[in-house]
Amino acid sequence: MLLFTAKKFLIMVGTLFALLAITFTISHVAPGDPAALAAGPDATEEMIQQIREEFGLDKPLPVQFLIYVGGVLQGDFGTSIHTGREVVSDLARFFPATLELVLFSILFAIAIAVPIGVISAVRQNTITDHTLRLFSVAGVGLPMFWLGLMLQLFFALKLGWFPLGGRLGLLTDPPTTITGLYIIDSLLTLNFTTLLESLHHIVLPAVALCFPALASIARVNRAEMLEVLSQDYIVNAKAQGLSKFRIVAIYALRNAMLPTMAMIGLRFGWMLGGTVLVESVFNWPGVGLYAVEAAVASDFEPIVAVTVLLGFMFMLANLAIDIVYGILDPRVRGANI
Amino acid sequence: MTQENIIMAEERQATWRERHQSTIRQLRLYAHTYSRNASAMLGLAIVALFFFVALFGPLFVPYPEDATGAIHLDNKLQPPSWEHWFGTDEVGADVFTRVIVGARVTLHISLFVTVVAMLIGVPLGIAAGYHGGRIGQVIMRLTDVFLSVPALILAIAIVGSMGPGVQNAIIALALAWWPGYVRLVQSKALSIRSAIYVDAARTMGASNFRIIFVHILPNCASPIIVKASMDMGMSILGIASLGFLGLGAQPPYPEWGAMISTGRNYLPDWWWYSFFPGISIFITVLGFNLVGDGLRDVLDPRGRK
Amino acid sequence: MRRLFTHAVLGAAVAVAVLAPFNAGALERGPDGLVMVVAGRQPVATLDPSVKYDASTRTVQQALYDALVKYENNPPEISAWLAESWETSPDGLVWTFKLSPEAKFHNGDPVDAEAVRFSFERTLKLNQGPAWMLSSFLQPENIKALDDHTVQFTLDRPYAPFLSFLPWWYVMNPKQVQANEVDGDMGQAWLASNDAGSGPYKIKRFEQGDIYELERNANYWRGFPYDDENGPASIIYQLIRETAAQRSALSTGDADIVLSLSPDEFDAVASAPGIETSTQPALTAFGIKFNTKGEFTADENLRKAIAHAFDYEGLVKIYNGKAKLQTSPFADAIDSKIEVEAMPRQDLEKAKEFLSKSNWPDGGITLEFVHVQGNEEQRLMGLILIDSLQDLGIEVEMVPLTWPNMVAKGSDVKTSPDMMAIFATPVSTDADAVAFQYHPDSWGKYYGSSFYDNPEVASLIEKARFETDAERRSELYAEIQKRIVADQPEIFGMMRERRIAFRDYVGGFSYSPVRMTTEIDLYPLHIEK
Repeated sequence: MLLFTAKKFLIMVGTLFALLAITFTISHVAPGDPAALAAGPDATEEMIQQIREEFGLDKPLPVQFLIYVGGVLQGDFGTSIHTGREVVSDLARFFPATLELVLFSILFAIAIAVPIGVISAVRQNTITDHTLRLFSVAGVGLPMFWLGLMLQLFFALKLGWFPLGGRLGLLTDPPTTITGLYIIDSLLTLNFTTLLESLHHIVLPAVALCFPALASIARVNRAEMLEVLSQDYIVNAKAQGLSKFRIVAIYALRNAMLPTMAMIGLRFGWMLGGTVLVESVFNWPGVGLYAVEAAVASDFEPIVAVTVLLGFMFMLANLAIDIVYGILDPRVRGANI
Repeated sequence: MTQENIIMAEERQATWRERHQSTIRQLRLYAHTYSRNASAMLGLAIVALFFFVALFGPLFVPYPEDATGAIHLDNKLQPPSWEHWFGTDEVGADVFTRVIVGARVTLHISLFVTVVAMLIGVPLGIAAGYHGGRIGQVIMRLTDVFLSVPALILAIAIVGSMGPGVQNAIIALALAWWPGYVRLVQSKALSIRSAIYVDAARTMGASNFRIIFVHILPNCASPIIVKASMDMGMSILGIASLGFLGLGAQPPYPEWGAMISTGRNYLPDWWWYSFFPGISIFITVLGFNLVGDGLRDVLDPRGRK
Repeated sequence: MRRLFTHAVLGAAVAVAVLAPFNAGALERGPDGLVMVVAGRQPVATLDPSVKYDASTRTVQQALYDALVKYENNPPEISAWLAESWETSPDGLVWTFKLSPEAKFHNGDPVDAEAVRFSFERTLKLNQGPAWMLSSFLQPENIKALDDHTVQFTLDRPYAPFLSFLPWWYVMNPKQVQANEVDGDMGQAWLASNDAGSGPYKIKRFEQGDIYELERNANYWRGFPYDDENGPASIIYQLIRETAAQRSALSTGDADIVLSLSPDEFDAVASAPGIETSTQPALTAFGIKFNTKGEFTADENLRKAIAHAFDYEGLVKIYNGKAKLQTSPFADAIDSKIEVEAMPRQDLEKAKEFLSKSNWPDGGITLEFVHVQGNEEQRLMGLILIDSLQDLGIEVEMVPLTWPNMVAKGSDVKTSPDMMAIFATPVSTDADAVAFQYHPDSWGKYYGSSFYDNPEVASLIEKARFETDAERRSELYAEIQKRIVADQPEIFGMMRERRIAFRDYVGGFSYSPVRMTTEIDLYPLHIEK
């Protein structure tokens, strides 16, 4: 098992390195002069040249890459032009927001998709089943950013139930930083005003983010439930007169949850991609918004860093699924990956 | 034409039918199975409507000049009415016209992205699966790298470095999209490579070229078709997302995502401006997904998760 | 199924708790008193007064720092501030300022002549931000602290409008700056997010790209023009990028003043109860600058063809009538401004005539139009341009860029775009502040991205600048305005009114046209009950 994990991990490191190389190349073959951009409007030609030398921009691309990798290994991802700060410190500030949003969104997805899957399975091929499935399938086609706007239009602007965006109200101080996730931090410090307000702010963006994931999670859950429900021991349990609720909620659901969790893990990665859109709509100060602003400003170093960071998280989620499956299903361990 | 010739022609036709009888029967069966799936039929109807609108819609729109940048400032931000079914936008252009013409733009872009992704992905997948070896390894590793990051993020990185614009957005999406096809085709090709009938063909002296085109490609066709129909929907979402972020099409180009991007500045009072393009994306993508789902049930039942 | 049901009830209760509307109204009492919230869409780049000024940056800098003199009122007047009084030598070379003895920095140090000298020297040496205003006729060594309260400037040449630039030269505390110097950066790193000023507010929070909170300096040496109990404890400048979100914040009371509503939103808000609006003419002029040395736009006939095809009325319609077309390169409130008769207006016949004389008599070319990313008004102007030029067979490609990228692109004659949307606010009402933009010394600055090259006009500008006879000066500027219009280095656009909306309990809102369109003076703001 240890060997299996180590092997996976090594491959992951290699892939990350290749990803770094690819995004670095993409961003450095682009037209435009980052030195002139960094130097600002009043710079003279000598000042630009000086910056070029300082950042090694006058060297050939492979050399630049080596210098860059050297920096990355020491935790230096360069400096962002549009925020004027080190990319690493920007990431440290923005990433917890993204993580919080995605985790919460997963919770929402589970809370909505699993009941849909269960009810659809229990009432297989009834009107309820069809309606619920249509609802979840519809989510796949919903443009997340547009759904976000419509949620804002209705729940924030029309009804005023939720705030329009951001992580906290203006006058609320963020909780003492422990994890950087406001909800967890405010829980840990028993700061209930902040807790309630963070929850209040996260609802709309988390709903917008989870919608497209509902269909696949619900579908897997339904299929698994159907399979489990037709197994002998469930039939036996029914015969023994256990309540239907007990059977469904305890025996069947428990067994159907593993494949469902795997699908959720997969969706976690896709949600990371979706944060780019949702954060833009809800002005959520995470890495997605950061990446978009950097892309619009042709600010390359943050883009490379965010791409690699999200790639890393994505792989981490996949690795976690693989390990769980590896533990449960020994056949996977030896398989060629 | 003589009597003889006609008979010959009929015979030839008959033989064509005879030769392809099993294929025809198979297709009929597919069509039959597909038509019994209500949601798949709904998807088909949506997609058919979308194609109709994209192909012929621009010929019938009430204000064709509004799609190419005409402005009527005296008529700006009018709510939906008989003259303007979807209202007018911030420069007085007819939103209905722009949405309809936007369907054509969307079709162009999504077809292009899907086809280019296939043209890159399928040959690479065959190379990796059929030939295997070192080249295959390299291809698969490269594919893994591209798959290791969400496609939208990769597309943003690419557009970010090339600069915003609809051309660049299309290129970026195509570049971010091909790896899926490599995975799909590679595994299929790998399993067919050692199939008995391929071995037989090989011992009979068939060229690699022939094996690929006669045996491998047709066998990959079903999953490719399913994936392509799904990808049509997904690339529509992708291009609209880039447009929304301001990295894709620029106004007055009638792209749905870009329209929503501008329209959001006019919420909540002038909601129709971003509402109609959004609902168009929704319905279209839903249509392609339902079709893809339906096709999967018919063509590739085991591919269903 | 009963248990399922109870779960559902619990869930609903939690949902309701989360749903309960929180209207954390901005004027709600913070821990220390009332907090006023100003929402704008431009981030505050730096607090360092020597490095940069733009609308948002100066709004905050003006609250943290004082200058020798200050612009107030409409039409703008220069009032005494740190300087109690001043005098000029008869030859116009020597300016002597007497400082107010009460003036204190935030840490209690007195604002003395040495601080003034130090601050001017720092800005001139760093040679960024406002340095250009004085650098061509004031050398750092010619600023002298005569005694604690007297500072003297000796100019290289007599320069009448010297005083008109001084309101933008803020005074920093030399001790604080020097104490925080790192590697000879003259305190730049520290001053970017800290203040060393004497102004009515102190910096409390500086969260770049998000929130900037200023705490009121209750001991401000000049006092406040309102009763102390009505003063806010602090003012928050919050970045809200979407104008719709600004509007929503204003109507819920989450923001008290919003700076950047779109013209349509502004009209919608103006009639809402509890909200007041201020629309006043600004000095800011909008123009579309041609690159007069560019591949296509070097052709004067092409430029004139475009200028005559452009739909000027459309510009006014964008603002729902709250804008006025320019009748000269100079905005209305600028000294010596005349109405130039030859100012082009939309005339398709003429446009086609000019086009036929150009190198592209049938059009068939595509021109770049660069504007600020996310600036809805400029985007609309681009759409008007596209529409207007269709009749000439000229296509326009819209290129939205962030402001820094736009400035970088315009800084080089080779990359400067065919057409670029520029709002320019002169730093004073003196004619030189505008005319300067058409002088080769401005090449490469955003307002000089047209690389306008007419040696005769350049020498006229130099001559007018140092002319001391008022009448002769006006004549020169009249000539300059006519010549510039004749060369058409840009499409002369319009002057929009500033559109600022605020809650009706905000008192003391004052206005001076030399401020930029989204720049406000925080000093007199207070709560009216």
